Amino acid sequence: MSRLVFSRKPMRFAAARVASSLMPGRGAAVGPLSLEPDEQLALPSPEWVRLRPRLAGICGSDIALVDGTASAYFDPLVSYPFVPGHEVVADVVDDPDGARRVVLIPVLSCEVRGITPVCDACAAGSVNLCERAAFGHLEPGLQSGFCTDTGGGWSNEMVAHRLQLVDVPADLSDEDAVVIEPTACAVHAAERYSGRHTAILGAGTMGLLTLAAITVRAERGEVERSGPIVVTARYPEQRRLAKELGADVVCAPDELPRWVRSASQSLVMGDQLTGGAADVIDCVGTSDSVQQALRVVAPAGNVHLVGMPGNVTLEMTSLWHRETCIRGCYAYSRADFARAIDVVRRFSLGRLVGATYQLREFHDAIAHAANAGRRGTVKVAFDLRPKEGK
Amino acid sequence: MPRPGFVLDVDRSTPPTLFWRGENFSLERLPAGRSRVIYPPEPLPALKDIDGAIRTALLHPIDQDPLPAQLFPGMRLTIAFDDVSLPLPKMRRPDTRQRVIEAVLDMAAEAGVDDVHLIAALGLHRRMHDYELRHALGDRIFDAFHPRGMLYQHDAEDYDNLAVLGTTDHGEVLEINKRAAESDLIVYVNINSVPMDGGWKSITTGLASYRCLSAHHTGETLQNTRSLMGHREHSALHKSIWRLGTLLRDSGPKIFQIETTLNTDMFPEQFSFISSREWEWSARERATYLATTKALSKVPVKMARKIFHSIQGPHQMTSVQAGETSAVHERTLAKVYEQQLVHVEGQTDILTLGIPFVCPYNPDGVMNPILVMCMGLGYLFNMYRNKPLVREGGVIIMTHPTYRDFDPVHHPSYIDFFEQVLPDTTDPVVMGQKWEKAYAEDEWYRHLYRTGNAYHGVHPFYAWYWGAHGQQWAGKVIIVGGDPSTVRRLGFTPASTLDDAFEIASDVVGRTPTVTHLHVPALLVADVH
Amino acid sequence: MADQRSVPLSRLRQMAKIGDAASSALQAALAPVRSLGFPYRKPTVPRGVTVPEPAPSLGAHFDTDWARGSLARAARRAFVAGPMRAAVQWLASPAVSGTDRLADLADLDPPPALIFAPNHHSHVDTPLVITAVPEPWRSKLVVAAAADYFFDTRLKGTLAALALNAIPIEREVTSRTSSDQLRRLLDDGWSVVIYPEGGRSPDGWGQDFKGGAAYLSSRTGAAVVPVFIDGTGSIFGKGMKRPRRGRTSVVFGAPLRSADDENTRRFNARIETSVTALGDEALSDWWTARRRAATGESPRLTGPDHQGWRRQWALAERRKLGRAGQRRRQKRRWPDLG
Repeated sequence: MSRLVFSRKPMRFAAARVASSLMPGRGAAVGPLSLEPDEQLALPSPEWVRLRPRLAGICGSDIALVDGTASAYFDPLVSYPFVPGHEVVADVVDDPDGARRVVLIPVLSCEVRGITPVCDACAAGSVNLCERAAFGHLEPGLQSGFCTDTGGGWSNEMVAHRLQLVDVPADLSDEDAVVIEPTACAVHAAERYSGRHTAILGAGTMGLLTLAAITVRAERGEVERSGPIVVTARYPEQRRLAKELGADVVCAPDELPRWVRSASQSLVMGDQLTGGAADVIDCVGTSDSVQQALRVVAPAGNVHLVGMPGNVTLEMTSLWHRETCIRGCYAYSRADFARAIDVVRRFSLGRLVGATYQLREFHDAIAHAANAGRRGTVKVAFDLRPKEGK
Repeated sequence: MPRPGFVLDVDRSTPPTLFWRGENFSLERLPAGRSRVIYPPEPLPALKDIDGAIRTALLHPIDQDPLPAQLFPGMRLTIAFDDVSLPLPKMRRPDTRQRVIEAVLDMAAEAGVDDVHLIAALGLHRRMHDYELRHALGDRIFDAFHPRGMLYQHDAEDYDNLAVLGTTDHGEVLEINKRAAESDLIVYVNINSVPMDGGWKSITTGLASYRCLSAHHTGETLQNTRSLMGHREHSALHKSIWRLGTLLRDSGPKIFQIETTLNTDMFPEQFSFISSREWEWSARERATYLATTKALSKVPVKMARKIFHSIQGPHQMTSVQAGETSAVHERTLAKVYEQQLVHVEGQTDILTLGIPFVCPYNPDGVMNPILVMCMGLGYLFNMYRNKPLVREGGVIIMTHPTYRDFDPVHHPSYIDFFEQVLPDTTDPVVMGQKWEKAYAEDEWYRHLYRTGNAYHGVHPFYAWYWGAHGQQWAGKVIIVGGDPSTVRRLGFTPASTLDDAFEIASDVVGRTPTVTHLHVPALLVADVH
Repeated sequence: MADQRSVPLSRLRQMAKIGDAASSALQAALAPVRSLGFPYRKPTVPRGVTVPEPAPSLGAHFDTDWARGSLARAARRAFVAGPMRAAVQWLASPAVSGTDRLADLADLDPPPALIFAPNHHSHVDTPLVITAVPEPWRSKLVVAAAADYFFDTRLKGTLAALALNAIPIEREVTSRTSSDQLRRLLDDGWSVVIYPEGGRSPDGWGQDFKGGAAYLSSRTGAAVVPVFIDGTGSIFGKGMKRPRRGRTSVVFGAPLRSADDENTRRFNARIETSVTALGDEALSDWWTARRRAATGESPRLTGPDHQGWRRQWALAERRKLGRAGQRRRQKRRWPDLG
């Protein structure tokens, strides 16, 4: 029984940053993440229960933390030391109704924090926009997995508020269940889809799930597809999946401007298309990807940042000139989870989990997750289920 | 006396054979006892007095009045000429076009003709750069006509300046340059490098609109063009063009066709090893070969390309004839065959081709993967009369680095074609139905074609169609030394060495196949019996 | 006189002092030998004795064969390719065109000897033509130079022969010696530059062609290449004290041979017409020139018939058309408005 703990150690954070610049994922070995023995957490209030994680995914934001590339913006939004892991499928310990398998909604909203009255955003159901994320009777924490009081998925035990739990239907496997949380993000992002010509940058977990969520919306007739969906994918496995999940065109990142140009019948001025895609969903979040998004987006079009960008450098003249909108896209509301379960079921997205690791193998796990695309994987998770016969 | 072309049977004492590999060469050993190499005839002697011969041809044309008798003050005279796609490599100055057009203009000046337009008949090819026009026409013509707007390039998309002359009984619309159509006389100045060109093809493609060209530049037509370089009656393309030509003769303006032929003296003296036969290489030629290949393998491909594209060939003129188009073309063909025809007995299982750095569609540009296909299956494979050098279902092996590299100025639509169309289909007919229209009507390509130096948006399709017959005919196509993923996207098989290629071919043609190597660059047409 | 007065008086005095010092030094140095007479000095001629004239070795009789030996040729080739080309480039920045008209002849083996017949405005013409003539003719080129001007002293003649490969020729009537020598050279494969005008233009307009080139061509069968040179008159025209930089063009025409039924006079006229047409080509464009040549309206190189200011006036108009007239645009200077 053990857990992975992330502590506030600036020297190690810097060392991780250096190591990961040489090879993504190397931050695990030298950084502030360490394997420690279990420690029982107190339940903050009677509304809380103990969870025994079964699978816990490794998310892009987790890798950014471990590799030391995360923005300092998050420092006041987390509390140290904490156990990472917010993509969690878990068993509820000692539930009165018997065995209960749940997915965690990691967002720590006002209700979870015991703040009354709740903030306007939480009142409206948009828990992702909660204005009290660092306050209340809990230590600061953006989500479970970033808060010292809640614990996280990369351990054998954590605590959660009853409102954070969503029951997993019996027909879904643990693998299906562990991608429900990121799929909920994707469902939230897919609400921005207008049916017009759309480009999705990146075919990692978020890119593929967003595509899947968009396809489900279109299949249900909630939005009419009037333009093509172009997805950029670097690796063959990603390409195959993107095609399967409903992309009209899958191309290499450097081919994107030409595909968008011919699909939108644009002319070209320097690097800038005259027309372009009405919506660009950036699931990468680097300077290059956002810049490319600005190049291929139509005048008065929207760039949605689903991938977490951090510090980026941009040439924004075209944004000004063409009245482009760049808008962030973070997390989900509670309602998105129901939809996410449908999306996961529609495409059996559990197969995106390409590799699982034990906690003690966390060096390998992080290295694999950081290079998932290259190694033909989409999602990497920690397997915390007790081994048979042990 | 130049020696005729001949077929060498490879034995154990045959030295390795020269293969082009894009911007380099290699010497390859072909299996002894079952291989043969077809060598082109040596260059025919050039005309002694070229300018005199041109004058004579203009004064004594075939089936027409002498040119001066057809010129009169106040007339509209249009001189159209072949574009930069030939000859390859570019001709040492003075270019044939310059010589002929100067002679024509001299006569026009004497006759007091004021209204003269010079039009580059480039069809859907890229507009020539000014330096290329200057090279082809010489400073005197360029400086006299270009600044006044009397020397310009045909535009197949400028529908205000195109005129429909009629429709053939097969429904093909004849639509050509309006200025040419409304002239009192069109003088067409042609250079005939390969038997495919010339005749009615000059005007009905060079000065035609996209609409007119698209009738016969299709996958089906080219699949049914079973003799691009040989007998016209086996070429669906040429039959269509000749129908348009007949219509042009009956309902169009008067045409004075001038056709010239060149010998196969294509490379300057220092590259003599390219065209000499390997066992006759002198010590100097061997040293040049070694130095050249070693140096080229060291320099970046961009620089190698620059070096090759700066080569100017002697290309001496062997004949010039003028007058009525069909009659002139028959004489031209006879002269071309006199230079290029090689008698060959029977077909073989494998045809090997060295692909050079240039094809008609990339003068001064990059030989992109689509052009490799076009050059191999469209041009070199088709250099036959009667029947192909390789049996149906046989294997074609080409040597070329086939890098994924494009010239963004000359070939913008080729990049998209490679990225969008080829992953979807390599079938000419399917791509014609599914993709061609979007490319042909793309506003951006149209803009680049009309104002820049880009090939028309639809041109990659035509380049691909050119290889349609070869693609159908061959059981397998292997590219030696090419970038594997690029070669696969063309629908071909990559191999790292020629021996590997023979191994791969054995799946199709067995372990002891017969092999024919076409010893290019010098052009030759194999007369296969 | 204005020029001389512009030298300040103090400078004049200074120079006089230096002259005095030099002459006194010389006097002192020569003092020991001053008293020596013959045989240290030239003998004086006794009265009543007629010394026979030495055989003429100057003028048309100047011997230049040595200048075509291999050593002199190598030296000249280096001189032409190096300093002469650089100097011509700097002084005249020539634009050479029409050499493609000679390409066919260059391919022949051996390339035939040619007679180059340019118009003549300036001493710059000869270096200009020598550097502009394409190989293989450049390295086997002699220049027919006025015997009375270039070969009147031994030093001048030697330099002209060595640097320019000049051979002496009479201006007015070509003598037997000159014409035999030229024929011999042409037969040996040497090409010749002959200025058919016989001398530099006195007023900037051309002069009528004399028959030398035509005669030589019809006697030897060598083709005449008409050459037009534009712009040298304003660089170093006749009467100018020092050269002034400018721009020039050299246009080569198609080689001409006399037709069977053509006498020398008519052939000469044809050469003059060709150079005239080339002149038109250089100052307008080829097509205009061809049309005017066809109707006989090419502007004459010899200028209008009238004399006086109108002739000079017309010349200025003509110069504006040439390359010399296309001066680089002056850098714009904005007025200083304080």
